[in-house]
Amino acid sequence: MSRQKILVVGADSFVGSRVVRALQAGDWAEPITATFDAPALRAGLSTVDGVVNAVMGSPQRIRAAATALYGSADALHTSARIVHLGSMTVYGKDDGVFAETAALPEFLEPYAAAHAAAEALAGARPNAVILRPGCEYGPGCPQWSLRVADWLRARRIGDLGAGGDGYCNLIYIDDLVAAVLMSLRSPAAAGVFNLALPDPPTWNEYLISFGIALGAVPIRRMTRRRWKIETRLLAPPLKIAELAQGRMGLSNRSLPEAIPPSFQQLCTQAIRLDVSRAEQVLQMRWTPLDAGIAATAQWVREVRGG
Amino acid sequence: MIHDAADPSVGEVLDAQICIVGAGAAGITLALDLIGSGLSVLLLESGGLDEETETQSLYAGSVADERLHSPPDRYRQRRFGGTTTIWGGRCMPFDAVDFLRRDFMPHSGWPIERSSLLPFYPRANLLCEAGPFAYTMDETFGPGFTPMIGGFHSENFSIDHLERFSCPTNFAARYGHRLRAAANVRVILHANLTKITLDEAATRVARVEAMSLDGKAFAVRADRFVLATGGLETARLLLANRTQQSAGIGNQYDVVGRYYMCHLAGTLGAIKIQGPPTRVHHGYLLSKEGVYCRPRFALNESTQLRLGIGNFVARLHHPRITDPAHRNAMLSLLFLAKPIIPYEYAKRLHGDERTGAADWLRHVRNVLTGPLDAAGFALHMVRDRMLAERKFPSIIIKSKADLYSLDFHAEQAPNPASRVTLDEARDPLGLPRIRVDWRYSPEDVVTVRRSVALLAEDFSRSAVGEFRYDPDQVEYEMTRYGAYGGHHIGTARMGADPRSSVVDSDCRVHTVDNLYLSGSATFPTSSQANPTLTIVALALRLAEHLRRQIAHA
Repeated sequence: MSRQKILVVGADSFVGSRVVRALQAGDWAEPITATFDAPALRAGLSTVDGVVNAVMGSPQRIRAAATALYGSADALHTSARIVHLGSMTVYGKDDGVFAETAALPEFLEPYAAAHAAAEALAGARPNAVILRPGCEYGPGCPQWSLRVADWLRARRIGDLGAGGDGYCNLIYIDDLVAAVLMSLRSPAAAGVFNLALPDPPTWNEYLISFGIALGAVPIRRMTRRRWKIETRLLAPPLKIAELAQGRMGLSNRSLPEAIPPSFQQLCTQAIRLDVSRAEQVLQMRWTPLDAGIAATAQWVREVRGG
Repeated sequence: MIHDAADPSVGEVLDAQICIVGAGAAGITLALDLIGSGLSVLLLESGGLDEETETQSLYAGSVADERLHSPPDRYRQRRFGGTTTIWGGRCMPFDAVDFLRRDFMPHSGWPIERSSLLPFYPRANLLCEAGPFAYTMDETFGPGFTPMIGGFHSENFSIDHLERFSCPTNFAARYGHRLRAAANVRVILHANLTKITLDEAATRVARVEAMSLDGKAFAVRADRFVLATGGLETARLLLANRTQQSAGIGNQYDVVGRYYMCHLAGTLGAIKIQGPPTRVHHGYLLSKEGVYCRPRFALNESTQLRLGIGNFVARLHHPRITDPAHRNAMLSLLFLAKPIIPYEYAKRLHGDERTGAADWLRHVRNVLTGPLDAAGFALHMVRDRMLAERKFPSIIIKSKADLYSLDFHAEQAPNPASRVTLDEARDPLGLPRIRVDWRYSPEDVVTVRRSVALLAEDFSRSAVGEFRYDPDQVEYEMTRYGAYGGHHIGTARMGADPRSSVVDSDCRVHTVDNLYLSGSATFPTSSQANPTLTIVALALRLAEHLRRQIAHA
């Protein structure tokens, strides 16, 4: 039996690269990668059996990729299965338990609005599956693992007190990749799926457990004063310096990474994802948090030393 | 949601499935655990967000012997968060022996075993922000931990036990945001409970009435009511409601207000450790989670039962602060700073000795002769206590001479003659004020005297040092500062027999189907342990009971 061709758009992203690797490791599919300029997409789309949109980054990039990809698919009238990687940010900043059927807020911040717009384009396609993961973590994950580990090891975050009571809707990278593969292969998969641990830890629980696994102990209790200074006072100049360094072509590892106000807000948001649909339809089974954290901490030690 | 009684949205009659009175450790824990339960919860709090003199004065009352008990408006706070706004944060669970009926301990025995609280202790620990539920050195620091005193071995005392410290967590500041965001919980501030009205059969609470100090009155109808107002106020409220039951609610056998216990605590003797100072590690250790932990001497259960004495723990301590003869700059600095230290923490600084100008001068000299020690200590207190959110729990002085005193904390036996009653005087809301007649008993003296003697023998036997004290001073030292402040226990005790208890094993008042009590008032015995962690664990257990009861109903 010939192998299916799967076009992975955004293969340079963390999740995209892990999807490519997983496809390569299997015997049923052959990954094809493409940038998201229209000619390249059309060329790719014309021959594939499935598409994964794993483009991450700025709002502009997310919108541009979706417009180009789904516009090209429309033009080619392709009926290939499309798996779109979205984000839980489309649920906005409210607290509560959100199922996939929840109405999305009318007004969203630019990043969330870009995801919502991209989802809308994907959802208009026949045979599309939209995945809404929480915070992906695991070996190789820059955003919710390596960045957080650096902050923990520098004692810039820790036990946040009331500032860390929000839910941390983690999804282990292997689980997210498994969801993508299942979405490509399962005829029953259709529509939107939330993806996160069904019983998520709070941010405090995640940060304390991860810090202990990293050996960044004793965990520091952040005062509200210190936390405000870090996220309100220091974050803007650090971000500006990071951008300036980037423009000058300098390594950005010489400066500590800013802890943005958005992270502070996220840590207080009592939002949980209802993932029962993913468990029923995609047969999702979740990597236990302890195991995921242990593997991630081991990887961080390999990357950063210590 | 958090409202003030003065808000127009607070009508004349409020309805809820569960009405909790008192937003301290117990009340806030109950409300937190009922968030998202689908039950409508009303939490009435007498105070506001901060301490208010007028509200706090509602706690005023009288004491039978001012040497033995602090004024009733001290060591407890009538405000959102209750006494968690000022507590010291020491956490430890009750021991298995505390729940037993012990023939030598009159009126002892809980109607529940420790195992029925164990499922709730880990979450209580987390709510108190005291880290995981692990109370031995081995569990917390691993098998290679450094012992408190190298070479100390005893068949009577364990030094593997530890106590953990909360931040100390102010439950209002820490969890107020969750109550504010909860759709099914309404907190009403400045709502003082003034009346509990029973139905005609006097078997159910029909309604309660509440009033703010500026006169806004309203009533609450609920399926179930919980009084979570602390060990003294709970007794006062039950006793003060005499319209339908002449002795007060739940008091047909004259049990409410009796068996009032605190703890017996003091500082005693001189312990000289032999060998290098590195042999002693009596200070605080930080767990991986960043929680302060401290080792202690804990009297073994088998020794307690064999000798017929109560529970007892002790720690190595610094010399008495008030006596400048210690010649320690840090302790003298603390003495000189006592005018700015809160009453609840300064009591032992004030002591009962008369300190004249000569003593003050000697303390000043101590500071001047050890300026670096004093400056380092001052910096440590500012950085690690005043500015820190997880505060360094207490003063630890490493003795260069390996000289310490013994700080002990012991169980007090239940004694029906130790009691709180109603006074003639009334507060501005018309409720009788409280009168406290705390008493200790010969059994209490025996517990401390035997325990201290055993420890002295064990020091000698271990050959790690010498513990000298005057046995004739034990009773004086254990009552030198009176009843241990802030631990108000046993005034509405739990039991199977209504003739000798007020609530059943579910904390329900025996004779009132829908009235529950939550807090240390329900503890039949006092243990050696500080009460807050067990208050929180029992509140979690009660929340589960209420959920189950209402689901079945």
